[in-house]
Amino acid sequence: MEVAILFAMVVGLLLIGVPIAISLGMSSIIFLLVLSDTSLASIAQTMFQAMAGHYTLLAIPFFILASSFMSTGGVAKRIIRFSIAIVGHFHGGLAIAGVFACMLFAALSGSSPATVVAIGSIVIAGMRQVGYTKDFAAGVIANAGTLGILIPPSIVMVVYASAVEVSVGRMFLAGVIPGLMAGTMLMITIYVLARVRNLPKGEWRGWGEVFESGLEALWGLLLIVIILGGIYGGIFTPTEAAAVAAVYAFAIASFVYRDMGPLAARDGKDNSSLFKKPLALVTALFHRDTRDTLFDAGKLTVTLMFIIANALILKHVLTDEQIPQQIAASMLAAGFGAVMFLVIVNIILLIGGQFMEPSGLIVIVAPLVFPIAIELGIDPIHLGIIMVVNMEIGMITPPVGLNLFVTSGVAGMPMMRVVRAALPFLAVLFVFLIMVTYIPWLSTYLPTKFMGPEIITH
Amino acid sequence: MSGHYHAKTPLGQVVNEFEETAIAVLLGLMVAITFINVVLRYGFNTGLIWGLEATTFLFAWLVLFGISYAVKITAHLGVDAVLNAVPHGTRRTLGFLAAVVCLVYGFLLMKGAWDYWANFANLPQTEGHWFPLGFEDMGRTSYRGWYEVNDIPFPEWLRWIEPIMNDGESYEKLPRFIPYAILPIGMALLLFRLVQATLRLISGEAESLIVSHEAEDAVEDVKHMNQED
Repeated sequence: MEVAILFAMVVGLLLIGVPIAISLGMSSIIFLLVLSDTSLASIAQTMFQAMAGHYTLLAIPFFILASSFMSTGGVAKRIIRFSIAIVGHFHGGLAIAGVFACMLFAALSGSSPATVVAIGSIVIAGMRQVGYTKDFAAGVIANAGTLGILIPPSIVMVVYASAVEVSVGRMFLAGVIPGLMAGTMLMITIYVLARVRNLPKGEWRGWGEVFESGLEALWGLLLIVIILGGIYGGIFTPTEAAAVAAVYAFAIASFVYRDMGPLAARDGKDNSSLFKKPLALVTALFHRDTRDTLFDAGKLTVTLMFIIANALILKHVLTDEQIPQQIAASMLAAGFGAVMFLVIVNIILLIGGQFMEPSGLIVIVAPLVFPIAIELGIDPIHLGIIMVVNMEIGMITPPVGLNLFVTSGVAGMPMMRVVRAALPFLAVLFVFLIMVTYIPWLSTYLPTKFMGPEIITH
Repeated sequence: MSGHYHAKTPLGQVVNEFEETAIAVLLGLMVAITFINVVLRYGFNTGLIWGLEATTFLFAWLVLFGISYAVKITAHLGVDAVLNAVPHGTRRTLGFLAAVVCLVYGFLLMKGAWDYWANFANLPQTEGHWFPLGFEDMGRTSYRGWYEVNDIPFPEWLRWIEPIMNDGESYEKLPRFIPYAILPIGMALLLFRLVQATLRLISGEAESLIVSHEAEDAVEDVKHMNQED
């Protein structure tokens, strides 16, 4: 009963326009002060420890920073050029290239809205020029953009791993097959639609263009190799891999692509080279562009971590009150099996994903469902992937999916038109969700293969 | 990308510049320390023992300091579906209600932050479960200025605080009241910015306390590319 009041309070505060973080924090504080003798001092301590006590979460600011350095420059443009060179000549080629570019960009950034903005703004304009309808373009991008949180590295996965104490590396590996699969399913759907509706196709520009554009994009794409290779090669912890990725992205953006920093092209001049201005190695560290990118990433970190820190206070309430155990007991008593349980998790997350920032939602829901899942013999990694895919779909489910908002802004279309445009592809992702939910192998194969079988400790 | 916030007064500009630079520097230091530790481990088979602890404290500083800044530039995420659906008058009322909730939150956390930090700085906690009802009498265990962190060594140039905080005895590691100080500082700043935001709501200068997603600025930047129908 008390829990119902707690969640009603959170939702009520959210709806009147209280920031997510404060809705979570305020409801939990009231709850703790009324029902227990917890002091405000220990709540403040929880806030501080959210950052100072969670080594895993430290990866979040570093991943955000790496993706900020990557998106400052023309990485999005280079990735799109490469994608068009590879798949542009198929029927519906530009749309397929859009999905492909979203997949690649998702591997550089951990966020879905960021993917939609970076890729969508360019691809939607390009698709309209060659004769696609705006609706089709927007529908494709809104859906493909959600891959941002499924294809590693992913901030949401870091949060899940930290919340239920599984390995970040395993989660990242687990996302690879489902991520590739979701992208492929979207691309096949577009291809079929393109044949039926006879959508325009581009021309094959030859292997030269593939290699040239590939080489251009390579510097950016190497980031994925550093992160995944570093983690699985046992060279870095995920947090260190994220920090190395951030430094690498900074070096690429300042010294190779030269889209920012002291070597960038200004006032119509070409970018200068490092050989002409060797001092740039030092000045780049203090350059205004570097500061601005650090600041942008810092700002995003602050808003995300403020939500996560408050969600941790709520988690504190839930565990204090033994809520997960109560729910688990009542569900098991009611005779729910694994299948029914997963359906319920699906529904909770689809609804929650509409309103909430994905990372915050994970912090709250994961500890609730995790003990039940273990009890029912569901693999924790598999559960994590299910949760991530659910949240992807929540982002494009009407009425208030986050990606729908972003796409409507980027494409300059009213919400309802974006919703209609996204529907056919949403159906594809739903099929995908069902597959991911009921075929555990998709998520668990790679982690078990590379990191050995999971050891579950209670 | 950045630079969407423009302060109106010279003082505001200086403060804004300070806040933005502080956020950038804190994040920059976190990356630098972590990266240098990786290089030291593989290149020189050594490392900074205090690196990890320092990074996690910097992380806490970054976030706790940044919360108030995010209130100033209205960057906190929220749900605006209902706010956008109701008439203007109702929206103002709801916005005001939300602001009151935020103020209470800021106030409660301010008390909590002080209470947590105070004893580490040899200062009295406040009495009271919800509201501060005066200061406690300092008992023997209330003086915890001698508590140190685990790994970060005490910097030489801070030796002058030893007579003030530690009865003249020397610190080996950094005393805890220094990293923890960001709690009361950050929460005081948060409360201050929340009061300002509330005043903006009342004067009609702002409509709400939230943005609906993290990429709102970025969307604004690219909107023109697909505007015409």
